Amino acid sequence: MIDIDSYAYNNNLKTVHPAEKALFAMITMVVCLASPTVITPLIVLALMAGGIIFKAGIPARVFVRLMLIPFSFLLISVLTIAFSISTISSGFWLSQTIKGLTIGIHYPDLITAIHLFLRSLGAVSCLYFLALTTPITELITVLNKLKVPVIITELMVLIYRFIFVFMETATTINRAQSSRLGYVTMRSSFRSMSGLFSALLGKVFVKSQELYNAMAARCYTGEIKVLTKKHPINLRNYFIIVGVEIPLILLNLLGR
Amino acid sequence: MPEFIIEAVNVEYSYPDDTKALLNVSLQVEKGEKLAILGSNGAGKSTLFMQFNGIFHPNSGCIKYQGEAISYKNKDLIALRKKVGIVFQDPDSQLFSASVWQDISFGPLNLGLSEEEVTARVKKALLDTETTDLQDKPTHLLSYGQKKRVSIAGVLAMEPEVIIFDEPTAGLDPRHAKEFMQLLEKLSKEGKTIIISTHDVDLAYSWSDRLAIMYSGEIIAHGDPGELFLQPHLIERADLALPWLIEMHSEFVKKGWVPLSTPLPKTKEDLVRNVPTKSDQQSAK
Repeated sequence: MIDIDSYAYNNNLKTVHPAEKALFAMITMVVCLASPTVITPLIVLALMAGGIIFKAGIPARVFVRLMLIPFSFLLISVLTIAFSISTISSGFWLSQTIKGLTIGIHYPDLITAIHLFLRSLGAVSCLYFLALTTPITELITVLNKLKVPVIITELMVLIYRFIFVFMETATTINRAQSSRLGYVTMRSSFRSMSGLFSALLGKVFVKSQELYNAMAARCYTGEIKVLTKKHPINLRNYFIIVGVEIPLILLNLLGR
Repeated sequence: MPEFIIEAVNVEYSYPDDTKALLNVSLQVEKGEKLAILGSNGAGKSTLFMQFNGIFHPNSGCIKYQGEAISYKNKDLIALRKKVGIVFQDPDSQLFSASVWQDISFGPLNLGLSEEEVTARVKKALLDTETTDLQDKPTHLLSYGQKKRVSIAGVLAMEPEVIIFDEPTAGLDPRHAKEFMQLLEKLSKEGKTIIISTHDVDLAYSWSDRLAIMYSGEIIAHGDPGELFLQPHLIERADLALPWLIEMHSEFVKKGWVPLSTPLPKTKEDLVRNVPTKSDQQSAK
């Protein structure tokens, strides 16, 4: 997760307008999810992999490692769709009968499973494209422009910031505990872990009060107003989006 | 008669758990002066600062801004906080946004300025704190010193009349600490009133026009830095130490290198200048 976050700030597409990246990723994701064939998801996957690795300059191994995370989840859920258990042994494309129970794959189920698998992978790659090229702070400004309620975007700003503050605190406490042999046995690990959590909880209250005070000192009145950096709007990018999406949508329509 | 910009008048304050944090504190801050508040940890410096812009209410006594007791109505508090800015000790509790640019723009936008004006102020604050290179970095990838400078920029951009720095140089490396002191000098020349808290006696002595020493919730002394540091019992009582300049100076006086009437040196250069060169001494014979 931290990896994704630091790549979002350091990639070759960071200067591209966040709305353009979000639009591209979202439309492609919808097209991919709506596709009736396996070709569209494959194209989307290739497109996003190319975008992430060649355009954004993110190392291929990082992308592969990230894709492997949903891969295992997907594989398990897809297998349950592909396989069925039945007392009737006919109609299976591939099967094994043990004591009257047949475990096997129906051909249409297999197709559905492969479909689902590729569509999900394709959609995930779209999300990774967005996550790896666009910092959360910029996504939040896009959400603001889309008139998402302020309460949600403000909470996102604070939560995002404090994930890191607390992770840092937790890491420090953990290191301090480890250096005093807090995690050598199972017993001490449990004790140290509970200590860590209660210390963190205490800090949450102190930090939130401090944050409020510090914001009040800068004339906070209940609404977080910040200036966002302007990104240049690039018409070429919109042409690229249109140029990519139209063939994909046509492909979807043809596949019906 | 000097004009007082902020005053604490017999301020008493205890935390909700009944810890007495401030005991009958009275302090007057002159407009345009450089005031250092010295005190060991837990002396009540930060608590006093929170009184100065109305974040904490005194249990008794009052805070005056330009001679008038401050009002704790929301609108008046906002007006006060436009004038009195605080840079907090822990930058992590001050930076609320992951974007450096957004965080610095928060204060000036709250002042109701136009976007152009805010942009100009953010840029100036970035320049003054040498954080221009950091503007596109997320705050969580910055070092402690960098965060500290960004949090300073966030308050500078509001251009307050009085700027309060809580332990500003703690955690800064020598180079940035020195540059920070130069920035303070610049702000002071622009006519800002500057209050810092510190337990760095050398810094407090060399920089400040006036010094207040706090010890467990009380101001036990205030006045000219030179005079205060010549009272060793006071310094000891407050768990502080003597600035090296004064220690060296007294040693030189004791050994007869420097006449007793010589004024206290404020800088290293002063100290060196006070000591005569060898040939001078020979000709003096």
